[in-house]
Amino acid sequence: MSIHIQTNYNKDENIWIVDIKGEIDIYTANKVKEDLNKMLDEQMADFKINCLELTYIDSTGLGVLIGILKRLKKEEKNINIVNPKPNISKLFHITGLDKIFVIEGE
Amino acid sequence: MGDHFSISVPSKPEYVNVVRLTASAIACRMGFNIEQIEDIKVAIAEACTNAIKHGIKNREENFKIQFLVDEEKLEIDVEDEGHGFSCNEIEEPDLENPKEGGLGIFIIKSLMDDVQINSNIGKGTSIKMIKYLGDDL
Repeated sequence: MSIHIQTNYNKDENIWIVDIKGEIDIYTANKVKEDLNKMLDEQMADFKINCLELTYIDSTGLGVLIGILKRLKKEEKNINIVNPKPNISKLFHITGLDKIFVIEGE
Repeated sequence: MGDHFSISVPSKPEYVNVVRLTASAIACRMGFNIEQIEDIKVAIAEACTNAIKHGIKNREENFKIQFLVDEEKLEIDVEDEGHGFSCNEIEEPDLENPKEGGLGIFIIKSLMDDVQINSNIGKGTSIKMIKYLGDDL
C-alpha cells in the first residue's frame, strides 16, 4: 500500500492543486498531514484535491482533511474535493462533512 | 453453524491494509456487492485503528479479529486488551466544531447493520459488527 501526492501551485488563482493517489488510512495519514501542512507553510491558498485516483479513505484521512480545513478557514480559504469515488463520497455524506467541504464531480 | 475464521494482528498501522484485504476477500467470497464490501473494509479498518490507537497498552501485543460466516450474514469481532474507554464518550459529529478524531465509531455504526461495543476501562474493548447479505437495511 502506498500513497502518492503530487502538488502544483497555481499563482494566478492562488490555489494549490493536489493529486492524491492511493489509500489514506492510519498508516499513510501522517505523511498526508505533513505534506499538506508543509504546503500551507509555504503558501496559504485554497486547496483543490483531485481524488480520481484516491481509492480508500477512513476516519484517519478525514481527520487530516478536517485539520487542514480548520487551518484554511482561519484565513477564509477552503478545500474543494474533486471527483471522489462513490465509496469516498459516501463517507463525506454519512459524516455530514459534505456540508463543510465543497465536493465537486460526484 | 457457520464458519469461523480468526486472525491475530500486530498492533501496528502497516497491518491494517492486510486486514482490509482479508475482510474484502471473505466478503467477496460470500457474495456481498461492491458497495457492501467497501462498507465492510472501512468498518473493520476503523475498528483496527481504534485498537491500535487506544487499545493496546503494550506495542508488542496483538489484537484479535474473528470472522463468523454464515449464509445470511458476516459477523466481525475485533477485540483488544487495552485501555478501554467509556462508551458515553462516543459522540455524533459536531459540524459547527469539527474535530480531527472521534469519527471512527460513528462511521462503523453507519456502515454496518448491527454494532455492539463493549469496553471496560483497564480491560479492553470489543467491537462486534454484523453485515447482512442481501439489500441494505
